[in-house]
Amino acid sequence: MSEFGNKIYALKTTANKERKVVDDIVKLLKDHPEFDIKAIMAPDELRGYVLIETPDEYARMEQIVRLIPNARAVVKGETSFAEVEHFLEPKAAVAGIDEGTIVELIAGPFKGEKAVVKRVDAGKEEITVELYESMVPIPITVRGDNVRVIEKAQE
Amino acid sequence: MVSKKQQNVCRSCHRMVDGDACVMCGSTNLTDDWAGYLVVIDPRHSDIAQKMNIDAPGRIALKVR
Repeated sequence: MSEFGNKIYALKTTANKERKVVDDIVKLLKDHPEFDIKAIMAPDELRGYVLIETPDEYARMEQIVRLIPNARAVVKGETSFAEVEHFLEPKAAVAGIDEGTIVELIAGPFKGEKAVVKRVDAGKEEITVELYESMVPIPITVRGDNVRVIEKAQE
Repeated sequence: MVSKKQQNVCRSCHRMVDGDACVMCGSTNLTDDWAGYLVVIDPRHSDIAQKMNIDAPGRIALKVR
C-alpha cells in the first residue's frame, strides 16, 4: 500500500485513444465529484491502457468504464505504485541500440526496411543507419523511437 | 506517435501549454515533440505527483525531447 492509501488500476481502452480517455475522465470528474482520482497516466510504452491512481474501490472504476466512451474494461486487481514507477522516468529511446545492431524502420519513407546501425547519437536520441538491401550504402539519420531492434550486435 | 494536432509542452517543466509561454515558469521554450501523458488532479495526495515533484495540478508530458 502506498503512502496515501492510493491504489493504481489499469483501465483498458481502445487503441490510440488513451489520451482522449484521460481527458474524458478529467471532464467527468467535474460533473461527478464523487470520484476521488488523484492522477491519471497514459505512458506511451503501455498502449491500450490508462493507469488511474485513486483511493477508491474497484467497483468505482467499473462505473467509469460505463461513463467513458472509449474505456473498455478495468483490469482485475490493483497494481502497486512500484510497478508503475518506471513509467515516470522514461528511458532513452536509443537504449539497447549499438553500432552493428540490425533494426527495422517503423516510420517515415523507409518504413518496413531493415537497416544496420552505423552511429548512435545518445544526446539527440538519433541513430544513423544504412539500409540493408540497398545497392549503395546511403546513411540515413532517424529518431531512436522510429526503429525496432531486430537483432543485437554480436560481440 | 504523432497525432494531428500535438499540444505544445514546456521544455523546462514539461507542462502542457496552450498559449505562447508556459504559465508555470514563464518559459517560451516549447516543443510538440513529447510522449507519455500524465494528468495530476490532487498533487498533495498522489504518489505519482510526489515522485515527479509536482506541486500543482495540471497536464504533464512524461518525456520531452
